[in-house]
Amino acid sequence: MTLGRASRGARTALRAVSFLVPADRRREWLEEWGAELASLEQARTTGRAREYPGVAWFVAGALPHAVWIRTEGWTMESVAQDVRYAARVLRRAPGFTAVAALTLALGIGANAAIFSLVNGLMLRPPAGIARPEHIVLLGRSYDSAPRWDSWSWPAIRLIAGEARAFSGVAAYSGGEFVLGRGDDVEPVAGHWVNGEYFGVLGVRPALGRLLGPGDAVAPGAHAVVVLSQALWLRRFGGDPGVVGRTLAVGSQPYEIVGVAPEGFTGPDALGAPPEMWVSAMQRTLGDGALPFDEWGASWLYAFARLREGVTYEQAVAAMDAASLQLRAASDRNEDVRVVLAPGIGLAPEERERSRGASLLLGAIAVLVLLLTCANVGNLFLTRATARATEVGVRKALGASRGRLTRQLVTEGMVLAAAATMLSVPLVFGGSGILSMLFPVPVAVSLAPDLRVYLFLGAVGLAAGLLSGTAPAWTAARRDVARTLREGGTTGGASRTRLRDTLVVGQLAISLGLVSGAALLGRSVLNAWSADPGFDPDGMVVGSINLRSTGRYDPAAAVAFQDRLLAGLEGLPGVAAVALANQAPMLGNHTRSSVNPAERPEGPESGIEAEYIVVTPGYFETLGIPLLRGRTFGPAAAEPEPVVVVNDALARLFWPGQDPLGRELVRRGVTFRVVGVVADVQMRTLRDRGRPGVYYAYHQEPQTLLVAHLRTTGPTPTAAEALRRAVASVDPEVPVTGITDLREGLARSLAETRTLSLLVTTFAGLALVISLVGLYGLISHGVTQRSREMGIRVALGAASGTLARLVMARALALAVLGTALGLGVAVALGIALRGLLYGVGPASPGVLGPVSALLLGAALLAAWIPARRAARVDVMVSLRD
Amino acid sequence: MPRPLGFTTLRILAAIRDGSAYGLDIVASTGLASGTVYPALGRLKKGGLVSSRWEDQRQAEREGRPRRRYYALTAEGARALVEGTSRTADVLAVLSPGSAGAVR
Repeated sequence: MTLGRASRGARTALRAVSFLVPADRRREWLEEWGAELASLEQARTTGRAREYPGVAWFVAGALPHAVWIRTEGWTMESVAQDVRYAARVLRRAPGFTAVAALTLALGIGANAAIFSLVNGLMLRPPAGIARPEHIVLLGRSYDSAPRWDSWSWPAIRLIAGEARAFSGVAAYSGGEFVLGRGDDVEPVAGHWVNGEYFGVLGVRPALGRLLGPGDAVAPGAHAVVVLSQALWLRRFGGDPGVVGRTLAVGSQPYEIVGVAPEGFTGPDALGAPPEMWVSAMQRTLGDGALPFDEWGASWLYAFARLREGVTYEQAVAAMDAASLQLRAASDRNEDVRVVLAPGIGLAPEERERSRGASLLLGAIAVLVLLLTCANVGNLFLTRATARATEVGVRKALGASRGRLTRQLVTEGMVLAAAATMLSVPLVFGGSGILSMLFPVPVAVSLAPDLRVYLFLGAVGLAAGLLSGTAPAWTAARRDVARTLREGGTTGGASRTRLRDTLVVGQLAISLGLVSGAALLGRSVLNAWSADPGFDPDGMVVGSINLRSTGRYDPAAAVAFQDRLLAGLEGLPGVAAVALANQAPMLGNHTRSSVNPAERPEGPESGIEAEYIVVTPGYFETLGIPLLRGRTFGPAAAEPEPVVVVNDALARLFWPGQDPLGRELVRRGVTFRVVGVVADVQMRTLRDRGRPGVYYAYHQEPQTLLVAHLRTTGPTPTAAEALRRAVASVDPEVPVTGITDLREGLARSLAETRTLSLLVTTFAGLALVISLVGLYGLISHGVTQRSREMGIRVALGAASGTLARLVMARALALAVLGTALGLGVAVALGIALRGLLYGVGPASPGVLGPVSALLLGAALLAAWIPARRAARVDVMVSLRD
Repeated sequence: MPRPLGFTTLRILAAIRDGSAYGLDIVASTGLASGTVYPALGRLKKGGLVSSRWEDQRQAEREGRPRRRYYALTAEGARALVEGTSRTADVLAVLSPGSAGAVR
């Protein structure tokens, strides 16, 4: 069955390629390849398949063969002659050439810019890593889909000791560090790393040394730091004497031991690039505990290098033993299985997501390129009509059809070559803009490399062939005698049909893209006006990190919060203030397992509920409505453990009953429910109604805090007030990421917003190009038929009749294009479904106005030439 | 003086000498890509080093497949193969360890 489909596909491909072979040798060529293919299919069914190549790979060889035959007789002189002639022809029509080259450049550049994104993120491993093909990611599975998340320190130790397949197992954890003291404080992203991290990556230092096994021996004993090239240049001006100097990291002095090589930004393609590296042994947990014996504390991502001579398959098999050891070591590892994924840069699920997004963008870019090729092809066709006499003369003088085709295709190629060169700056700028627009920070450089330039060349070649072939095809087929007799003025029915088809296709693609842009734009607007369950306007948030100082135990953390709240209340411009462990929509969110007290603790009865720790006044500050009971009082008034739950949790745990006074259990502690609040959207705009539990700040002390300020003035003023208030309590505590919650709402749809911007750009481009195409077609038709129209006027036709005649044709094309475009629009809408918010993929409220817009614009584009038709001057048109 | 034959071309000529008679057969026995073999056969035919003939229609029908195009070495092709092989052998001799050209 599959063989049948493969061979049918192969035969179709052969027939398509055969058109490259000169007509007189085509039959013979097809017969030979057909016989070879039949022999291959026979051979592959006889069980000797191993000795033979795959059908697809084999048939792919037909293309170079056909190209070889086609170009066999070409001499350098004849090719050069064609190119010179093409350049002359194009120079003689500078307006045409400029428009055609620019539109093609946009189409080609868009494709290459998107490819450079794919190249940087997915094809190219992060820079500075030696032989990245030997690196594997370590994930785990519990008889379900593998998870590519973090491991505990003892687990990494065990796998490293057990797995002979690896030459080393690297582990790291991203962190935010605070450098310097006083006015010089700067938050910097970095990695906590184990002793094998740099060795496994195969990175060599630019200066001094990197961290090795000797830097991960005893907890807290390795106050050394490696700087990235960027940090070294920014903070130390690239001073070569930096090694051995002291740098304040958090509250502790660290010795700078080395500088990482240029371009090295860690093993991840996405996320903020690390700018410094510190031994993981320096890490403590939130309450000051050490995580190095804790099987339950998963905080390290892991990857490993395959030992010399070990294959990936062998390593996968070797993980069975490691998995058994892990299960035996701790009951927390029940059913765990170590799984591997080849490669580095993106974790498999990130790879999936990136592939989806880039396929979508790639498809849109290809549509735009097809549209520009159709447009340029159409321009060529228009000119071919004007040049029909020239072509006819050359044919009559004995030029072969093949030679003429070659000449016209060469013109397309020369034009495409110019366009490709014009698109190079577009690719550079485009890839930079794309990395800025990307919804998450991009760690790696997206700068074009050789692969991008090869891709650019290939796209340029394809564009040249596509836009040059159609006119060549029709021009070469034309009857010499008729062309010369008619003075080259008539187009011929087949060519008009081709031109109509191209314009209809352009309109259809434009409608699809414009409606895709409208759907995404609508989603972003919906997100802005969505009701998230709290009042985001005038809400300013900022992160406060007590952990980085290393001085806060639970009691001190509570005292800090009390002092900070007292300092912030009553400040001008601040109407209300509260602290929590997380802000809605922004940053990290935590969930924690809870279950109702009346049902015993166990995997069946409990659920993972949002874990939100708040100070009194939180609900009032955010404007979250209280549905029943009360909110938290001051710490002194709440001696026993109490919680406020949201509506979703109340309905889940106690459907149809009064939740007040009920009890729920978290980690063995029983909390009494004192209030129920309305649901809010905690993580993204899409997940309203997740169960959540609010805890009192003094009962679950936190060291990572988010301040929430209800402000009446501008954001920067509130930001300054917050910074000053924190500094007056403890000058070493950093405040970062101060932002407006409105902004946070929009950011939760960042992917949609980015794509919306890109698709809108493409759609605008497509719309303009296709309208220009329609205008050109109708306008050209009027010019062509001016003689006929003159006769009609002379015979008494009213000028309105002529305009209607022209408009009727335009309307027919526009309606057909719109109808087809609706199909494209719905298909694109379905592809975009995951990114839409509050609007369906085939929403009539979007498709209707967009279709009307396209029809209106199309008719407007046709109206200008139609008016010209109405004013046709009998004498002039008949005389010409 | 024509350009000396490359290694790939020699492999194709040798495959034909050793009994591979049609394109797929040569692809399978040399392991070269089809996109290399067919244009090379075209070049060799043009240069007169191989000749081609269509298989007898009845023979093909007996085996239940379309007729193949068979290639064979011409006298000139056989001579070129011998020359090319001995030149390649010389090159290999110089490169192999223990010979006069080896680095000690």
